[in-house]
Amino acid sequence: MGRNTIRTAPLVLAGVIALGLPLAVRSATYLHILVLLYLYAYLTTSWNLVGGFAGVLPLGHAAFVGIGAYTSTVLSLQYGISPWIGMVIGGILASIVGVIIGLPTFKMRGAYFALATIAFAEGMRVIVENIDNLGPFRLNGPRGLQIPPLKTGLLNFMFATKEPYYYIVLFMLAGVLLLTYGISRSKLGYYLMAGGEEPEAAMALGVNVARAKLIAMAMSSFLTAFAGTFWAQFTLYIHPKSVMSLDISFEIAFIALIGGRGSIAGPLLGALLLRPVTDLSRIYFGGKLPGLHLIIFGVVLIVVMLYQPRGLQEPLTRAYRSITKKLFGHMEAA
Amino acid sequence: MRILELKGVNKSFGGLKAVEDFSLGMEEGEILGLIGPNGAGKSTVFNCIAGVYPATAGEIYFKGENITHQKPWNLCRNGLARTFQIVKPFSSRTVLYNVTVGAFATTDKRSEAERRALEVLRHLHMEDLRDVRAGNLTIAHRKRLEIARALATQPKLLLLDEVMAGLRPTEVDEMVKIIRELRENGVTIFVIEHIMRAIMALSDRVAVLHFGTKIAEGTPKEVASDERVIKAYLGEEYGTA
Amino acid sequence: MQFILENIINGILMGSIYGLAAMGLTVVFGVLKVINFAHGSLLMVGMYVAYWAVILTGLHPYLALVIVVPVMFLFGYFLQDIIIKPIFKAEKDVREPITVIIVTTGVWYILDNLSLLVFGPQYRNIQDNPLRGKMLEVAGMLPSVPRLWGFFAALLTTVAIYWFFQKTRTGRAIRATSLDREAASLQGINQYKIYNLAVGIGTAVAGIAGVSLVPFYNIFPSVGVLFDIKCFIIVVLGGLGSMGGALLGGLIIGVIENVGAQFMAATWTEAIVYGLFLVFLFLKPSGLFGVKYEW
Repeated sequence: MGRNTIRTAPLVLAGVIALGLPLAVRSATYLHILVLLYLYAYLTTSWNLVGGFAGVLPLGHAAFVGIGAYTSTVLSLQYGISPWIGMVIGGILASIVGVIIGLPTFKMRGAYFALATIAFAEGMRVIVENIDNLGPFRLNGPRGLQIPPLKTGLLNFMFATKEPYYYIVLFMLAGVLLLTYGISRSKLGYYLMAGGEEPEAAMALGVNVARAKLIAMAMSSFLTAFAGTFWAQFTLYIHPKSVMSLDISFEIAFIALIGGRGSIAGPLLGALLLRPVTDLSRIYFGGKLPGLHLIIFGVVLIVVMLYQPRGLQEPLTRAYRSITKKLFGHMEAA
Repeated sequence: MRILELKGVNKSFGGLKAVEDFSLGMEEGEILGLIGPNGAGKSTVFNCIAGVYPATAGEIYFKGENITHQKPWNLCRNGLARTFQIVKPFSSRTVLYNVTVGAFATTDKRSEAERRALEVLRHLHMEDLRDVRAGNLTIAHRKRLEIARALATQPKLLLLDEVMAGLRPTEVDEMVKIIRELRENGVTIFVIEHIMRAIMALSDRVAVLHFGTKIAEGTPKEVASDERVIKAYLGEEYGTA
Repeated sequence: MQFILENIINGILMGSIYGLAAMGLTVVFGVLKVINFAHGSLLMVGMYVAYWAVILTGLHPYLALVIVVPVMFLFGYFLQDIIIKPIFKAEKDVREPITVIIVTTGVWYILDNLSLLVFGPQYRNIQDNPLRGKMLEVAGMLPSVPRLWGFFAALLTTVAIYWFFQKTRTGRAIRATSLDREAASLQGINQYKIYNLAVGIGTAVAGIAGVSLVPFYNIFPSVGVLFDIKCFIIVVLGGLGSMGGALLGGLIIGVIENVGAQFMAATWTEAIVYGLFLVFLFLKPSGLFGVKYEW
């Protein structure tokens, strides 16, 4: 068994399991939880393109989720445009916004970029919460927008059961993971890493660090907006607090950081480990201890940053490698 | 056409004049040394050439083109590479990865870049270190990695900033050999160095900076016997290594 | 006309409290060179401490300072010592201590949600405190009394901090460390102790700001968030590390908010403040008085 087979076998296995899961899991609630799990994994992996690979700290990514959600929803409610098209338009808008924020702030200290993203995200949320209309578009302020259940079908991005949503988000997740893998092995990936670690050296080696970061930012915001559209079509109701809140931005960032930003598996691992905490704490503690899961996140974050700043993926991958070596080492081609 | 031409370069930081009216020319294929007491402004000259900051006044020409306000990454793509006095390896990555970053300067394909990186490593006798984490290297190897990275960008002109500092005498000799080989392969080299015997042995010509101004220029022999140079170095012994 | 003047005055008074809050942040930045993202939460903690101090002892809010200041000082001191210091040490040579930002954001989150858990989401205020709702009559205008107290608290604190940094030995040690940490440590100054002190002082100042707010402002778990962002904005406007800048920035924000509130809903002024922040960030990041840092 070659080394490559050992590396890819578990991925194939995971893929098969993921594809078959809806057949085993019948409960709609659990499917719902899985969909959210994949969605957050998608979000953290997209975040990772700029938060991990580019080495900056975006803390306002929910803004892009919001742009995606509102763009596709408004376009489909008011103009009957298919949410898929709206999704792409939302992505482009988010991309433009991301670049605008990045242009001046990437040259500055990391804290300024982080602050700018927070200020922008919160500013946008406040504005949307306060206006009913943005020009010809109805945003409905804090009441948000409801999507009436239309004819179901792929074209309308509307389904009666959870299964189709499950497969769509799984597909999105697989896509973004593949993309991240591809980038990490490409010139852009090398340049981003170099620019993040030693910007002066990178520049002397031909790396236009600021431009690489902007490209990463554009990609990340584009993809993040897709999640917004998905969310809108999945829950059929969006309002500023549900798609643009600081809580969402922080959760995405924290999960990616705890899992390990800059790596491919990190954000995914983080989501797999931490999302259940959110769901479980809501199920068991629900009203009695609100925000408990966020406290847990915060504590875990600090502990991880203190002892494993590269995230939990580092010790986990090491353990995984030593286990597979022990089990399959003798089978490796000489 | 000279490969590098500095005309009346001045650099001030606020009120401090670091480099004053510095003019210099370099022919293709030569090894030019820049020496001077600490704080004379040598690294500042390099930084101006390499685009880290623009000269306050004066002009710099590379291959006939005015590069006074060019950015480092564009200069690198045009064939001007530099190393840093305080080495800046991408510590969390392997040696091969480090050099591959440089190799990407002339190609977009990873396989191609890696191939070229390996070639460079072989040239510098470092290929068996390719999978070592850069942060775990000895200082001598780090300095060599610094050169390897810059080399991978296929420069026509290479600026070496104190690559021998901190090396033992045997390592210094090795480095001299490597630099000579580079020149044989068509790279023009501009060296800043403190280790006298190395720079005197290497350089075709030497320029001397003192308090930001050029006080002498010529062959190593001429410069070593120049009275102004000796005075500037009063207290520093020739033959420090 | 008089109406606008009154708004401006109240804006200045409120702004001085903002400036006070921001000053704590700027002190920490000036010495540690990091922005403490948890600053707003520290302010929130200060408000709750002041609240409980008053409720439980029946003291006049400003007398509660006796309790609040030392408690907050110690809180900040140990926060730095236990949580932030290890990361600082690990990132000593890194150009950009991003992990500190991450960790302070984590602290922000923990504090906010912890107080949500412990104190509940309800808005609290001290109804029958001697300052609430009182207004002075000066030249036909009605500046609010609690804000006036806040104004004086801000002034006094600024003077006290200034005196501390200029005249006392410890203060000078702190300034030395902020200018060149290596040189200072070579002089025998314990860097990390200085950092602890700086964060302690910054937090204590946030506590004083909290006390000023408690007589008239609502207290709830996420009150810190808005202040946090306002403090960042102020500190960017006024220039990181500059105390005078923090005060001035606070005044500007206070005036804009107060005057703006007459013409539009309060939440719009919020958006304007964010917008101003972004504009300043893009155009003049070193602020009005900022010390120039290489970007």
